[in-house]
Amino acid sequence: MKQFSILLQKEWRENIRNYKIFWIPCVFILLGITEPVVNYFMPQILEASGGLPEGAVFEFPTPSPDQILMAVMEQFQTIGIVVLILAYMGTIAGERNSGTATLLYVRPLSFLSYFLSKWTMAAAISLISLWLGFLAGYYYTLLFFEELEFSALLQMVGSYSIWILLILTLTLAASAILPNGGLAAAAAFAVYLLVQLADGLLGANWTISPMKLPGYAAAWLTGNPRLSEFVGAIGLALLAIIGLIVLGSWAAWKNKAKTKV
Amino acid sequence: MSLVEVNNLTKQYGQELAVENLTFRLEKGTATALIGPNGAGKTTTLSMLADLLSPSSGEISLADGLTVGFLPQYPQFFPWLTALEFTEMAAKLSGVGAKKAKLQAIRTLEFVGLEGALYKKTGAFSGGMKQRLGLAQAIVHQPKLLLLDEPISALDPTGRREIMDLLKSLQQDTTILYSTHILNDAEEMTDQLLFMKDGHLIEHGSLEEVKSRHANPRIRIRFHKPAEAVKFAEEHSWKMQVLTDSVYLSVDKEGSSMQQVLHTLSSEKQDILGVEFQTASLEEIFLKVVAGQ
Amino acid sequence: MDQTTMLLALLPIFVIQIGLMIFALVDLIKNPNPNGPKWMWGIIIVVVNIIGPIVYFVVGRRNY
Repeated sequence: MKQFSILLQKEWRENIRNYKIFWIPCVFILLGITEPVVNYFMPQILEASGGLPEGAVFEFPTPSPDQILMAVMEQFQTIGIVVLILAYMGTIAGERNSGTATLLYVRPLSFLSYFLSKWTMAAAISLISLWLGFLAGYYYTLLFFEELEFSALLQMVGSYSIWILLILTLTLAASAILPNGGLAAAAAFAVYLLVQLADGLLGANWTISPMKLPGYAAAWLTGNPRLSEFVGAIGLALLAIIGLIVLGSWAAWKNKAKTKV
Repeated sequence: MSLVEVNNLTKQYGQELAVENLTFRLEKGTATALIGPNGAGKTTTLSMLADLLSPSSGEISLADGLTVGFLPQYPQFFPWLTALEFTEMAAKLSGVGAKKAKLQAIRTLEFVGLEGALYKKTGAFSGGMKQRLGLAQAIVHQPKLLLLDEPISALDPTGRREIMDLLKSLQQDTTILYSTHILNDAEEMTDQLLFMKDGHLIEHGSLEEVKSRHANPRIRIRFHKPAEAVKFAEEHSWKMQVLTDSVYLSVDKEGSSMQQVLHTLSSEKQDILGVEFQTASLEEIFLKVVAGQ
Repeated sequence: MDQTTMLLALLPIFVIQIGLMIFALVDLIKNPNPNGPKWMWGIIIVVVNIIGPIVYFVVGRRNY
């Protein structure tokens, strides 16, 4: 674990100096703020766009706070995940292709520490971004709409964090396995979409499928998910994360000969 | 036991044999030059010794607890780290304690002549600076075995001189294996020569051994005109060759000795431009060995 | 909600937008080897709100 802290320091410096630690949270905060703000101004926006005939009775249902935060989650599910995958697709493949990994690999390197250092930094930035994004969204929801219990938000974001970690770990493992960042991103998307499709088509009874985590997370806003199913899905997701970390470390070791010399 | 023993080392990529049946030893405290044209398998051999590549067959046995430093031909650095940050990290990853690592990194960077660039990001380094930093990261943990892939080829003549001197100063407590195609430099720092071609070891031995096998010492007598050279050759029975204005006498068991030649020249009062003793340079030997394959 | 509080509420959005733009521009100026011409990225960062800086960081940056 001594190597882990040495390598984590390197990752820390990299993520500060390539500004990832600044711009990724910015993206999530903007996504989080946009939903409540756009919803709040929707009547004015519609009016300004002149789509309504003069004097028409204007009926626009005010969304509930949980609907707003669910819409924020939907933004994160699409744009947020795309940004994270693109930001971290080259984590390991990129070091191999540029040859910068060579001077690490010729040392007595623990590949588990190597993978974990990258995972820890990426996970920290992703989770900070996620939390800041939801907190910003929550703040504006309170400002423009109604109250929502803070504990419900905590439960929702906590559950959703596990889901984001799963996607992120998948991306890093793909980056360790595949020859370049583009392929890693494509593979991560493909796996994500395929599993989602399978879950959607066949998985009506797969109650502990990690793919249902976003749904269970959202359920905390209006009540709570069925506890046994929720715990099962979280447990399975954590197992998948550990499995992907082991796979990624092994693949990084296996592919060390592919680094540019 | 030798520090490093390589036996029947082979590396195959698909159908192509990059290295085939390579066998050699590295003795403690020696410098070995690995010489060969591009594509001879030098980099592949060094990468296997550095444990980046695994051999297809054959084996490499290193002495117990042997620490290794490796300098690739084109070292790549994380451009956002400074020279000191990188070298310190390299030292720590190679097992140097946290307290010693920074001091050792600074000393090493000073040793390779980068004392002015400790806090400069490596992304802004020139080619020569990268080569020096590459050497620094390879030696910062004071390894017993140093593997260098073309350590001086990318440098200008001054830089080459400096790095050669640095390497020579390391020789006392380090065993060095380096590849090069600059043979003048190899001649200067080598206890063992390994000639490679197409993945094979085609000649090896100490500089003296290789030279005695291939150097073909000869005596050159230069005349004013080609005709005089031809005339000299006709009048004497030594084993010799005529080339434009000179004759070349081979110096071997049946051949002539310098003493005989000088004696003959002075007693015959030959009008000549000069006499000199010549041996083939390492470069000529190398070309000959490669061509002879 | 009156006009001033409204503006105050929206202020963070502008701050983040400007912040992203400045990060991206500073990085672009220091970048010796972006993925594409510098002037093009400069225009994209300044003109295309929010998305411009992000696209630069993801596609245009390359490690340096």
